[in-house]
Amino acid sequence: MLLTVHDLHKTYKSGTQALKGVDLEVREGEFLVIIGLSGSGKSTLLRCINRLIEPTSGAVTFLGKDITHLKGDELRKVKRQIGMVFQQFNLVKRKSVLSNVLNGRLGSLGTFESVFESYSEGVLADAYKCLATVGITDYAKVRADSLSGGQQQRVAIARSLMQNPKLLLADEPVASLDPATSNSVMQYFEKINKETGTTVICSLHFLSLVRRYATRAIALKAGEIVYEGSPTDIDETWFKRIYGEDAEEVEIA
Amino acid sequence: MSEIVASGSNHTSDPGSRYDESVKYIKATLLDILLVFYTILVLQRAIYFRFILDLRVLPFSWVSTGAEFALSCLIGAWWTHSRTSLASKLFGISRNDSVTKWTVEIYGWFLFDITFIAGWIATNISIVSLFSGEGLRGAERLFSSLFTPQFGIFNSALFAMIETIYIALIATMLSIPPALILSFFTARNLMKENKFTYAIYYILRIILNFVRSIEPLIWAIIFSVWVGIGPFAGMLALMINTIASNARLYSEAIESIEQGPVEAISATGANKLQIVWHAILPQIVLPFLSYTIYWWDINVRMATIIGLVGGGGIGNLLMQYQGLAKWREVGLIVILIAFVVWIMDYMSARIRETIY
Repeated sequence: MLLTVHDLHKTYKSGTQALKGVDLEVREGEFLVIIGLSGSGKSTLLRCINRLIEPTSGAVTFLGKDITHLKGDELRKVKRQIGMVFQQFNLVKRKSVLSNVLNGRLGSLGTFESVFESYSEGVLADAYKCLATVGITDYAKVRADSLSGGQQQRVAIARSLMQNPKLLLADEPVASLDPATSNSVMQYFEKINKETGTTVICSLHFLSLVRRYATRAIALKAGEIVYEGSPTDIDETWFKRIYGEDAEEVEIA
Repeated sequence: MSEIVASGSNHTSDPGSRYDESVKYIKATLLDILLVFYTILVLQRAIYFRFILDLRVLPFSWVSTGAEFALSCLIGAWWTHSRTSLASKLFGISRNDSVTKWTVEIYGWFLFDITFIAGWIATNISIVSLFSGEGLRGAERLFSSLFTPQFGIFNSALFAMIETIYIALIATMLSIPPALILSFFTARNLMKENKFTYAIYYILRIILNFVRSIEPLIWAIIFSVWVGIGPFAGMLALMINTIASNARLYSEAIESIEQGPVEAISATGANKLQIVWHAILPQIVLPFLSYTIYWWDINVRMATIIGLVGGGGIGNLLMQYQGLAKWREVGLIVILIAFVVWIMDYMSARIRETIY
């Protein structure tokens, strides 16, 4: 088992209970999609897995090791193996595409090396390889914020690939992109998942994307898992259970 | 492609609202007492003693002040309790009727008026001395000298002016490293993580506020005693002030950065220094540069004033000629200062525009 989440709770300082006992097992090579309303705890769950957020209680086991209470260097070593892609891309806007991608390697570089940006030939070659994977080699020297949304997200994917991640987390990676671009960005996740066997955990809003890319889906509702199974089994009854009685699936394209 | 539409939101009841209400009530009571006390003091001391009785030395006794404070407490507490007071309106716990409206409007204006009148009395504003014949003749003599400057001292004035610009430049440059380091320790978003760093943040903020609240002129006096009168003392005074002010501006730039890149880079397993270097610094370089140029500009202006108390440069020269009542020389120096300040102001504005 690549990742095990056991009885995970997260209560924010404001008193909001974002997660109320989540149990989850993820096998290597899966493409797991998390669905659920905004505020159902998807982002919190993803961030508890790579410890951007400290869970209140429960355990996260990654590669057979309990990582819930790791600190310092040990924690960074784990973070290095888990890539993450965000809804807002989170690139350093004023920097070039290439240096944004190189940022993905920071975890395994020495402080001195990274501060003076004296990257070795090998690291640079890796960066170009990652850029090639997402098809934006031509833009390597361009400022990151001059790219379109879809291109910026591909840079962000390349940055996470620089980590050679065992696990790739994606927090609503296409929520701020248009439908056509969404599909193309999702295809890169699929490609990475199939070609390198990298496990992907991704939260999504579009059910059609879920059915197309996920090998397994879970649904969160108010901090609890209410559905777990094949994405194609989410019928109307399940849909209403996950999204509420008033929800309906709307075709927009 | 399909999208999910959901309706219905949960209305959360707020358990803290009763507590908030009583906190507001206490705050409103305190403010009302303060306002009433202020009103009584101003009416009695500024308007009655100073203006009506025209007393030079105002009488003071703890007993009467204490009695006035006690009276204010009674009136203030009653006023808040009736929910028609100014403070209860400010904290949003007032009754919503015409009594409140009238109280707020009339008492609000009354406070403004007595403050203005007290200010007028305290400043000793006198139209008579502004337009007296003797005064006007003196001003005329001064202005006519100022506008026929003595160019004989141009060389030494120019030299002193250049000295002033360099004093300001060195003060600004030397202030950059300490301000930079301090700014990271006084940025709330970096320091709020745990209690220890938050304590450092808090203490440093207090120290910087304190340093900033002391005018560079005062610092110049302190340093002229410390290191002796001259440009060095002036430079130190400007530097101290620039460090305190720029650390604040820098830290505000740090506080307003986007958190996204910081989150993304810490997710790659980067250490603290790498996060600062690769996620924070690229976002703050431009604001930092802009603030620094801006402060050089301010320092040139201030360096002329600092010279007045022995900080060297053009201010020193100005002080000498002013002491000798050589108004035509003073006129030249003033024109030179105005010209340089204008050029610096224009240049720094243009540079900052280009950077952004």
